[in-house]
Amino acid sequence: MNAKKASSAKVHENRGTPLVEMKDISIAFGGIKAVDHASIDLYPGEVVGLLGHNGAGKSTLIKILSGAYKRDHGEIFIEGKPVAINNPRDAKAQGIETIYQTLALADNVDAAANLYLGRELRTKFGTLDDVAMEAECRKVMGRLNPNFRRFKEPVKALSGGQRQSVAIARAIHFNARILIMDEPTAALGPQETAQVGELIKQLKAEGIGIFLISHDLHDVFDLADRLTVMKNGRVVGTAHTSDVDHDEVLGMIIAGKCPPNAIPGPGALRSAA
Amino acid sequence: MTAVDNTQNPARSDEGAIARFLRATEIDARMLGMVAALLIIWVGFDIYSGFLRDGEGLFGGSFLTPRNLWILLVQTSSIAVMTTGMVLIIVMRHIDLSVGSILGFTSVCIATMQVFWLGPMLGVGHPSIWIVTLILGLLLGGAIGAFHGTLIAYLGIPSFIVTLGGLIVWRGAAWAVIRGETVAPMDKNFKLIGGGISGITPGSIGATASWILGAVICAAIIYAIYNNRVQRKRFNFPQRPMWAEYFLAITGCILALGVTWLVNSYYWPKGVVDRYVQATGIEVPPEGINIAFGYSVPVLIAMGVGLGMSFLATRTRFGRYVYATGGNPEAAELAGVNTKKLTVMIFALMGVLAAISASISSARLDSATNALGQFDELYVIAAAVIGGTSLAGGLGTIYGAMLGALVMQSLQSGMTLLNFESATKDIVVGCVLVFAVFVDQVYRRRVK
Amino acid sequence: MNRKFLTLAAGALMLGMSSMSAQAAGKNICVSWKTFQEERWKTDEAAIKAVVEAAGNKYVSADAQGSAAKQLTDIEGLITQGCNVILVVAFDSDAILPAFQAAADAGVKMISYDVLVEHPDALYVTFDNVGVGRLMAKTMLEKGKSEGDFAFIKGDKGDPNATFLFQGIMEVLKPNMDAGKIKNVCETFTDGWKPDAAQKNMEQCLTSVNNKVDAVISQNDGMAGGVVAALEAQGLAGTVPVTGQDGDKAALNRVALGTQLVSVWKDARVLGKAAAEFANLIADGKAATELPGVGKFSGGAKGVEVNAVLIPPNPITRDNLSDVIDGGWISKEEACAGVAAGSVAACN
Repeated sequence: MNAKKASSAKVHENRGTPLVEMKDISIAFGGIKAVDHASIDLYPGEVVGLLGHNGAGKSTLIKILSGAYKRDHGEIFIEGKPVAINNPRDAKAQGIETIYQTLALADNVDAAANLYLGRELRTKFGTLDDVAMEAECRKVMGRLNPNFRRFKEPVKALSGGQRQSVAIARAIHFNARILIMDEPTAALGPQETAQVGELIKQLKAEGIGIFLISHDLHDVFDLADRLTVMKNGRVVGTAHTSDVDHDEVLGMIIAGKCPPNAIPGPGALRSAA
Repeated sequence: MTAVDNTQNPARSDEGAIARFLRATEIDARMLGMVAALLIIWVGFDIYSGFLRDGEGLFGGSFLTPRNLWILLVQTSSIAVMTTGMVLIIVMRHIDLSVGSILGFTSVCIATMQVFWLGPMLGVGHPSIWIVTLILGLLLGGAIGAFHGTLIAYLGIPSFIVTLGGLIVWRGAAWAVIRGETVAPMDKNFKLIGGGISGITPGSIGATASWILGAVICAAIIYAIYNNRVQRKRFNFPQRPMWAEYFLAITGCILALGVTWLVNSYYWPKGVVDRYVQATGIEVPPEGINIAFGYSVPVLIAMGVGLGMSFLATRTRFGRYVYATGGNPEAAELAGVNTKKLTVMIFALMGVLAAISASISSARLDSATNALGQFDELYVIAAAVIGGTSLAGGLGTIYGAMLGALVMQSLQSGMTLLNFESATKDIVVGCVLVFAVFVDQVYRRRVK
Repeated sequence: MNRKFLTLAAGALMLGMSSMSAQAAGKNICVSWKTFQEERWKTDEAAIKAVVEAAGNKYVSADAQGSAAKQLTDIEGLITQGCNVILVVAFDSDAILPAFQAAADAGVKMISYDVLVEHPDALYVTFDNVGVGRLMAKTMLEKGKSEGDFAFIKGDKGDPNATFLFQGIMEVLKPNMDAGKIKNVCETFTDGWKPDAAQKNMEQCLTSVNNKVDAVISQNDGMAGGVVAALEAQGLAGTVPVTGQDGDKAALNRVALGTQLVSVWKDARVLGKAAAEFANLIADGKAATELPGVGKFSGGAKGVEVNAVLIPPNPITRDNLSDVIDGGWISKEEACAGVAAGSVAACN
């Protein structure tokens, strides 16, 4: 145990305080431990890929960070300070933004309304400032998806890619420090996927920390600096993407085997450690 | 999407004149359809009633007369007020079956306070009675609604069940308060809320005030259109073509002034004028006296509520959250909307609206009984649905629902006017409800 | 049907009854109530008890508390207690039949009170319900309008009473209608007997005939309230006579104010008093057929013919408003609220 901690400390020595540190997080649903003493961290300007099968607990872990679920056990530190995240509003107050797998858009209202849902711009009379919101929406969408025109239509009427742009716009528009992307490219074609990749690189350059949850190993190897693999609610191990190859990562996902270049977690097979 | 902005949405060459017109003016085609249906119903009734008995209506019947339309508006007001709240409840994917019973219960409480408590205490007709009982009534309605909302939001009981219980409970409570008796008469000032005539004081604002109001509405329409254009220009958004702006402004003004002319064309009936002449001792010119009713108080209340609720629905965070939650409750919750609190607020609002309707109904009837408002929940829901509110949630407009209420009341009043059998009326109203929803769905599918 | 005869005879009976005094004392007059949950039966009980005890008889009662089974055991108990006559307000008029048979077998006389029990040996005492409609129309002809344009605001279409009432009304008005003196200008059922629905119906009626309505036959007081509100909006309240029934306090106030012509009142105490007097007579050995005002009634669901006395209700108009005030049904203040001094005798 001590050795593990030491090596972990060594790797990140020169990077200062992590942006996010989730320590020893557990949550159970009706007796089933969805997340079991998991710890992950994230540094500014870093992309950490979170991998694992369906039901491995990665989405659940990340929903605890975004405030959708309340943890049973464990602590969350933002820039070294312990924070209480009990609901989505708390998370947003900490600069944590999430792009959910299901997109989580209100289908029946337009792009601007979705962009500002929960933090609408208001006029000095306290009414909604739709014009200002639409103007801002046009700006941010112009950056993300210059061909987008359908500002007045409910997002239900938009294509998968367009909806994804709205969801991303919403996450990045409010000066997020920490971005959680849950399968951001699942609904997209190759061209749009490439766009998202570009966007992630751009955000990274701005110093934003990103958790990237994905099934797709290619995506993770392309975009992530580090990766953490989960299995059965526990962390199998964490590694720099440059230190491991595809097969080793597959081994982590499928068998829970932690390769030598990775830092094993509580979910790693003992024999492999 | 407008025609001016050709780069964005090029006008399709295969597009018909009507489609182009609708796109340019941004008028909701559904609403236009409903207005057309309403006009057909009105003209139909007028012609039909003309066959039975010659009248002064536009087509020789007795339906399209200032008098009938004035009464029609008053008759619609109570349901119209409640349906504005029902739209938001249905948009939030809930339902409120208890509105009729809340109406009954609050009206007997208001009446009991007036007749048995404050009347004897302060003296019958004391000027503070109407306002005190009205405020207490609204608070009572709001409290009942908030209670329902709390059960729904925080205990997770489905709204259908909570309000079905409320439907039974509050009707029973109404009976218990007055033991099945009729409480009458209402306070003489309170009575004006119903639009009737209390002695020689009418529950309507008269010709001059009505013209002023009509002019103000007209000015407000023009200002809104102008302001909208300025705003769009400021942010460089696409704008409506000029002819469409003029068209909307002129149509809006014609409508506002037309309705004003209508309510000003209905004069006090002879009996009331006689009473007035007797009471004031004024001299009667040989051609007689014509005193116009003007806008009645309940119609003004309904218009005010409609305006306020539209504002709430479209211009405030509250309304935005209601629609977003109806579209995707999970997304709204994740975006930080407190949907539970929202649910409580929306039901509390519905309770207040039911209490407003209770005031209108009991003031109009000049009494309260435990049966007041029975079956109203059905008409309120039907009006919302005819007006285009989707029971799947997320969709519906305030003005659509109010138009729906007007359509329903037009059918009922018209058939009563024609002395239709009661059973026939029920059959027709039921069929219209189903047919309206069918047409709506066909329309939505084609738009998709 | 010989209801007309019954009603008239019963009317005569009402006048003569009080002079009849009980001959013998010490009999047991028993009552099996269906429930005391409802306020009104208390009123009936007080009236029955007073008459029974005034005649020197003993009043015994049992409350079935809304249970048909309990009522059966109640009656069996009353038979064993040695009741001479049992009045029964049946909870379930079919389920109660075995008890009636048992009583008949034991030689105990039965009176079905207010609720018809179709047992041939039982006497049926009730208000003349069809007569209410006739009384409305009769009062309208005598004290309101006997010709002109009439509007008919009927009760709920699903309630057979609305139809019975209308039959009674038409029976009386028919001669004048056939003679062309009365014209039916509006006729409409009213959902759930709701006053607000009646108001809308009346408004539409007035619009359709441009206020040319001379009289309104409303089938109850609640709806009459809606009708009067509609008339008032046209300045017609007080000039167009309106009927009603039930003796609602608000309606009696309207009668005093002159905006409603009549409220036909079924006074529970009159019914109780009459039934108790019959019970006393039967206990003394009088046969049911010898009672004043008795006739045959077979209008029940099974059509069984029973001896019956139908008590006529009391049409309350301005002229006899004192009946309800003196009877303690309504206080003078309630009845006379807002009435101009000197305009109604009962309010002075």
